[in-house]
Amino acid sequence: MYGAPPLTRLAPLALLLLAGFALPLLLPQYFLYLGNFLMMFAVLALGLDLLLGWAGQFAFAHIAFFGIGTYATALLNVRLGVPFVVGMPLAAMLAGLIGLAIGFPATRLRTVYLALATFAFAEAAQWVFNSWDKVTGGPDGLRIAAPNILGYRVGTDPTAFPVMAVILALVIAATMYLTTSKFGRAMCAIRESEHVASASGIDVRSTKAWAFAISAVYAGIAGGMYTLFQSFVNPDVFGFQQIVLLLSMIVVGGLGSIPGALIGVALLGLLPEVMRTTMRGLLIWQELVYGLILIGAVMFMPRGIWGFIAGRRGSR
Amino acid sequence: MSPLLLQGVASGIVTGCVYALIALSLVIVYKSSDVINFAGGEMVMLGGYLGMFALLWLGLPYLLIFPFGALMIFIVGALFDRVVLTRVVGRAIPGQSILVAMIIGTVGLSYVLKGAVRVIPYTEEVRRLPPFSSGAPIFVGPVVLQHQDIAIVVAAVAIMAALWAFFSFTLVGKALRATSQNPRAAALVGIPVRAMSMTAWGLAAALAGVAGILLAPKLLITPDMGVIVILALAAAIIGGFVSLPGCVAGGIVLGVVQNLIGLYVSSRAISLAPFLVIMIVLLLRPQGLFAGKAAAKKV
Amino acid sequence: MSVIRTTLFAAALAVVLSAPARAADPGITDSEITIGLFAPMSGPLAAFGLDALQAARMWYEETNKKGGIHGRKIKVIVEDDKCVPNEVVAVVKKLITVDKTFIVHGGSCTAAAVAAQEFVTREKVPHVMLNASGDGAVIPPTRYVFGAFAGTQRTVGATLAEFAVKELKGKRVAVIAHDDDFGVANSTTFKAVATALGAQVVAAELISPRVTDVTAPLLTIRAANPDVIVSTAYPGPAVLIGQKYGEFAMMKTPLVQAIQGIPVPSVYAKNVGNDAALANFYYGSPLNDLTEGPKQQKWLALYKQYYPDRTPSGFMTYGLPSAMAVTRALEKAGRDVTRESFIDAMETLNFETEVIAGPTAFAKDRRDGARSSIFVKFDGKAHTLMPGVYTWDGKAGM
Repeated sequence: MYGAPPLTRLAPLALLLLAGFALPLLLPQYFLYLGNFLMMFAVLALGLDLLLGWAGQFAFAHIAFFGIGTYATALLNVRLGVPFVVGMPLAAMLAGLIGLAIGFPATRLRTVYLALATFAFAEAAQWVFNSWDKVTGGPDGLRIAAPNILGYRVGTDPTAFPVMAVILALVIAATMYLTTSKFGRAMCAIRESEHVASASGIDVRSTKAWAFAISAVYAGIAGGMYTLFQSFVNPDVFGFQQIVLLLSMIVVGGLGSIPGALIGVALLGLLPEVMRTTMRGLLIWQELVYGLILIGAVMFMPRGIWGFIAGRRGSR
Repeated sequence: MSPLLLQGVASGIVTGCVYALIALSLVIVYKSSDVINFAGGEMVMLGGYLGMFALLWLGLPYLLIFPFGALMIFIVGALFDRVVLTRVVGRAIPGQSILVAMIIGTVGLSYVLKGAVRVIPYTEEVRRLPPFSSGAPIFVGPVVLQHQDIAIVVAAVAIMAALWAFFSFTLVGKALRATSQNPRAAALVGIPVRAMSMTAWGLAAALAGVAGILLAPKLLITPDMGVIVILALAAAIIGGFVSLPGCVAGGIVLGVVQNLIGLYVSSRAISLAPFLVIMIVLLLRPQGLFAGKAAAKKV
Repeated sequence: MSVIRTTLFAAALAVVLSAPARAADPGITDSEITIGLFAPMSGPLAAFGLDALQAARMWYEETNKKGGIHGRKIKVIVEDDKCVPNEVVAVVKKLITVDKTFIVHGGSCTAAAVAAQEFVTREKVPHVMLNASGDGAVIPPTRYVFGAFAGTQRTVGATLAEFAVKELKGKRVAVIAHDDDFGVANSTTFKAVATALGAQVVAAELISPRVTDVTAPLLTIRAANPDVIVSTAYPGPAVLIGQKYGEFAMMKTPLVQAIQGIPVPSVYAKNVGNDAALANFYYGSPLNDLTEGPKQQKWLALYKQYYPDRTPSGFMTYGLPSAMAVTRALEKAGRDVTRESFIDAMETLNFETEVIAGPTAFAKDRRDGARSSIFVKFDGKAHTLMPGVYTWDGKAGM
């Protein structure tokens, strides 16, 4: 379970890359749009899962870093003409730095308090996006100029799709390495019991703060991905509902597992589209159905769908 | 003191008691199950609608809609705990936190309650419960207060006092406290832990429902009024999140601070206030402004 | 000779008839035009969209009953966008790239309309908004997006300012608006127009749409001593403002509320719960009459025919002007209509809808259809139409 992942585990990523280049030639833009959306959310979910599922840190600030990543990448492009290949990493690093800064004081707090403090930070960040008119455009939002990747012009669903797939594949591979590394082991140990971890020689505070920072970098990357296929951003995207959605995705899919996070994203990401097409006359019931699904998931599959499947298969 | 300031403070105290009532509900749930009830706001909303229903459709006299609403929402809360949460807890895998799952459960409940209410066409328009007593406003110097405002403040203090008495002197109350402090020991002593958990949830839910009936004349009822739970959370945190009198104090502090910011900074900054307060309090004094030294929380 | 000539003629005819038809735009067949219709039909903003969408459908059905347009019936594909920008983009992409509709007709929320703008422009598909104000997407105008069939938020702000200064003789005016895109747009235009008319803006309060208490903003306004107060708040906060205004006994200063906060005036009055507070109260409306006034009755009656089980919200008739514009433009463009000729036809429109105050008009450089507003004095029981139709000139406050 630990040590560098064998190449066979990396095989599905090749499939992802293949799909990334082939599907834009086959599918209408609507499906590519959904795909782009899911890939962006997958990066978000993996980042949150690192912090919540692997390190056991109950932190809700993720969506704020997503916003920072999106606005920063977009603004660097629109205002300063910084190309995407430079802009996105810069934005992701900015998110990571802020994550680190939050991580140190936040890790003094336990569970519920950590959740509330980070949640408050996320809401405060959304207020800033909404009020800092000069920079973010405030409530009117920001139009995103089509990014340019070394001469290849992105900005539409078919052109963005392969790039998103490449970024996602890299992120998944990085996550695999991270979770099976010494750092990954340290995060798991902290999740189980901070006292025991500390007694085993792990620097708990530093590990937690770095987990925050890395998770924030993921969110920043996802923010950069947003600018690849969307033409407009406004503060409403970075609110409480999105955090709830993200959380639901990884819980329903299965905490602390990469396939779990991906399954959760696919299921809950596509659920609104499925409901929309199947519930034509009953649209008003969507909220109720969504709530029932969430409750059902935690009641009957506490380890998430992946945990359920893995348990059935007997592998652990 | 300028009349502007006085009015701001007075109104802030009233709004603060609004937050406090809901905060009380959140804290009781937290003390019992370690969970933040994200459906707390929706329980308030449901209380408001049930109160309207009882008053306008069933024709109950005003005073009776309180026990009616409280009972109905008590059932909702207790059922949720019995059906959903015990299942989640029961399936817990040792070593893995079930808190996340429980919280998602409460989020699911909030969508269920909101979705169920929204299906009824009557709820499309903003509604208002008529106040308990509507008379001429009361003037205290330059300060204007409505009858409903006084009712809210009195109710907040009275409910808090009643809860304190309940937890200190009654058998059920003491059993609830014991269960929240140490469930295993409580079980050993013969306290039915599951029933206690249901009772705590039912009580907290009923509290939220009563808060809804009290607040509906002031706040207006829409299916989305549950967002007020965030302000209640802020109030609870200021108060230390484990202390009931802290809730009232925290709520009042928050209400007044919001008005002061609105008067002396800008109206636009009001919505930032609760979040700033949460972050500052948690970072500087996590035990809240009103508890003692930071107690070691159970790990 | 005649046999050869006949054969040649027949051959020529065969060649002409078998030539591929000139490539037509998607969504048009010999018998049908397919229109993608979307609005919020669930979620918190369903009240804004559902009835307006059904009104548009109703208009299309009526058109079909009268024989359609140039021999084609209108077929409608309906989607729910929940007023969420991501959903609107998904819905629009589905309608255009999967369902292949001729145009997309929809949107009750501005941010969502702006989110879809780049895509419809890139795909060269006309987007006619439903009842959205659409400020960010129609100002500055772009070729493919038409909107503001009940006025932009700039129109709301400008007409409020004109009414406050010209009719109510306000010299010291105060405005309370939300801190979202609507509020910023209408309060900015209000301030500009009021100042241009010679009044002084003594207070401008921005509040959150989720506000639960308006004590501080109302106190600030009261302290500034205005002689007219204007509010563009949404239904919930609008009631809170009305209540507080009454509690603080500010009735000697007239209060004017924009339509977005008072879809059904009788419900507003009931919620404020204090008719004394409405002694000096007015509201604006983009319609040509009171919501249940004589000029609106025929639409209400028609709606009842189509949807007998539903009592329409105050925004129902807002769905009609856009549908009327679509059918008129299709008529004008003729049988060989294409997306581009449809747009050219839309640009020539200038007609009376019998729904809203003032004409619905577009031009090469204009994409906001309506710019007028009426005002009504309302005391909790009786509505009194104030004289005049106030119109924004399209320039003030920009």
